Amino acid sequence: MNASIQCENLSKSYQKGGQTITPLEALNLHVAAGEFLALMGPSGSGKTTLLNLIAALDHPSSGSIRVGEHDIGSFSRAEAAAWRARSVGIIFQLYHLVPVLSAWENVELPLLAGSRPRHERRKRVDSALRLVGLTDRAHHRPTEMSGGQEQRVAIARAIVADPALIVADEPTGDLDRESADSILDLLASVSAEFGKTVVMVTHDARAAARADRTLHLEKGRLVEATDKA
Amino acid sequence: MTTIRNLSHLPRLAWRQLARHRWRSALTLLGIASGVFLLATVESARQSLARATAAAAADSTLVVYQAQRFCPSTSRLPEHYLGPISRLPGVRDVTPVLIVVNHCGASLDVVAFRGVDADAWRTYLGTQATIEGGSFDEWLTQSDGALVGAHLARSRGLKPGDRFEAAGVIVTVSGILDSPNSQDNSVAYTHLPFLQQASGTGLGTVTQFNVRADPETATPTEVAREIDALFSSDQIRTNTSAEAAFFADTAADMIELVGFTRWLALAAVVAVAGLIANTMLLVVRGRLRESALLHTLGFSGGQIGGIVLFEGLLLGVLGGLLGIAAAAVLLAWQAPTFGSEGVVMAVALAPGDILRVLAAATALAIAASLYPALLASRRCAAAALRL
Repeated sequence: MNASIQCENLSKSYQKGGQTITPLEALNLHVAAGEFLALMGPSGSGKTTLLNLIAALDHPSSGSIRVGEHDIGSFSRAEAAAWRARSVGIIFQLYHLVPVLSAWENVELPLLAGSRPRHERRKRVDSALRLVGLTDRAHHRPTEMSGGQEQRVAIARAIVADPALIVADEPTGDLDRESADSILDLLASVSAEFGKTVVMVTHDARAAARADRTLHLEKGRLVEATDKA
Repeated sequence: MTTIRNLSHLPRLAWRQLARHRWRSALTLLGIASGVFLLATVESARQSLARATAAAAADSTLVVYQAQRFCPSTSRLPEHYLGPISRLPGVRDVTPVLIVVNHCGASLDVVAFRGVDADAWRTYLGTQATIEGGSFDEWLTQSDGALVGAHLARSRGLKPGDRFEAAGVIVTVSGILDSPNSQDNSVAYTHLPFLQQASGTGLGTVTQFNVRADPETATPTEVAREIDALFSSDQIRTNTSAEAAFFADTAADMIELVGFTRWLALAAVVAVAGLIANTMLLVVRGRLRESALLHTLGFSGGQIGGIVLFEGLLLGVLGGLLGIAAAAVLLAWQAPTFGSEGVVMAVALAPGDILRVLAAATALAIAASLYPALLASRRCAAAALRL
C-alpha cells in the first residue's frame, strides 16, 4: 500500500472556555511513501494534533488529509478504526502495553482487531518479536521488562499488522540514551528496509537527526524544514 | 464470517481482564453465586411444588378422607368402607391407606408412613415404580418392612436392612422406592396391619382411601359425589375430592409459604443484576485509558463494548454455575422435604430448574452489562496519542 501523506490547508480548532483554540492552521504537507519524518517544535505547537489527524484519531476542522488513496479526514469512527487496524502502527511515549497480557499477547492485539486467522497471527507475532530482538521475552509481562524492552514490544505491536504507516509520539522520551538509540535504529530500519512511512514527534534533536527530514512547527504552522545531512 | 472471527477473541480478552483482578472477580463471583444460590433454592422449592401438583392432577385418582379433617390423625375412616366404595359404578380399584406422620403441621422435617394393603398397593404402583436394593417380594415377607421413598432414604441416609424410628414407629428398610410420582419418593410404605398396630391407631381404621375412577363408566367428579352420598348418613361422613384438589387444599400452607418466596427470588435477581452492573461500571470507569488504547490500535467501539459484555457474561455464567452447584450440593446433602398434614413434598433441583436458573443468570448478566458495554464503546472515542 502507498502511504504517502498529503495535507492541504489542514486546520484543527476547538472551543475551550469560550475561546477558539487552533493548534493547527492551514498546514500544507507532503510526506513521501517510505519516508522517515521527524516533527519538532515547542509544546503546544500542534505536533501531536497533527499526528492524531494522520492516524485518523481526530477529524480536521477544515482542509483535507489523505494517506495513500484514502481521504482519512472523512472517515467515520468505525471506518477509521478499521483503517488503523490495517494500515497504521502507533508507538506511544509511555508504551501503553496492556499489563495483564504477555509481550506476545500485546503484540498480537492489533491482529485481533482485524480478522486474521490464528496461524497467520502466530507467524506475524513471532516475526515481529524476532525483529525487535525479544523472542526470549515473549511470555513476560510488561512489569517484568525494562522501559527499553517495553518500547521494543510496542514497536513490534506497531509493525505486526504490516502497516504502511507508523506514527510515533515521543518514542524515546522516557528512555535512557542506549535504549533510545536502539529504538531509533529500529524505526530507521523499518523505514529504510521495509519501506514504511514513519512520522515521529520528538523534542530530541539527536532523535530527529536520524530521520530523513525534520519539520519544525510553531503555533500550528510549519516554520522550517531540515533534510538529513 | 469475518465478523464472527472479529468477535471470537473477545471472550479470551474478557477472561484475561477478569483474571487480572483476581480478588475483585472472586468477590463479585461470590456475590453473584450467593444470589443465584438463593434463586436456585427458591426456584427448586417452587418447581417441586408445581411438579407435585401437576403429577397429582394428571391422573383420575380420588382421595376419600373424613369430613372436617385437618390432620391425618383426625381422619379415622372404618376400613370396611372399602367394600361399598369398591362396588360403586365407575370405581376401578380402591386402596385403603393409613398415614402416620411425625409432624402434622407445616414442617421441613417430615417422615410420613403410609400403611397399605400389599396386594392393592402392588396393583396401584404398577410398573412405573422401581425398587432398588430389595424387592416387593422381600417387603411382603417382612411384617415390619418398609419401602422407603428414594428422597426420604437420601435425607435420612437409609439403605436396605437399616432400621429407623419416626413418630413412635420402628421399621426395617426392605427396599428403596423410586417412583415417577414425587409423593411416593418422600414417604415410607408399610404393611397396613403393622402400621395400624405400631401407631396405636388400631386395626380396622384407616386415614383415607385412594380411589381410581374408571373414566369410561363415570367421571371422577360423579364417583366422588357417589362416595360422599353413600356415607352421608353414617356416623363418619366422608369428603372425596380429586387428588389434585386434595393436594392443593392440604398443601395450601405450603403453597402460600413457597409462593411468598417468589419475592425472595425477585430480590435475588435484583441483587445479582445490581452487582454485575455495578462491577462492570467500575470496570469501565477504571479502564478508560485501556479502552482508548484498544481503539487507537484499531478495535472498533463494538469490539471494546463486546469485551465488557463478555466479562459480565462470564461473571454471570460462572457465578450462576457456582450458585447452582452450591444449591444442588445443599439440596442433595440435606434432602429437605416440605410437609403439611401428611402431604410431603421433596425439594429437589431438576435439570429443568438448573437450565432455567442458568438462563436467568445469563440473561441478567447480559442485561446488566449492556449499559456499561455501551459506555465503554462510546468512551473509547476519547482515544488519542496522549492517552
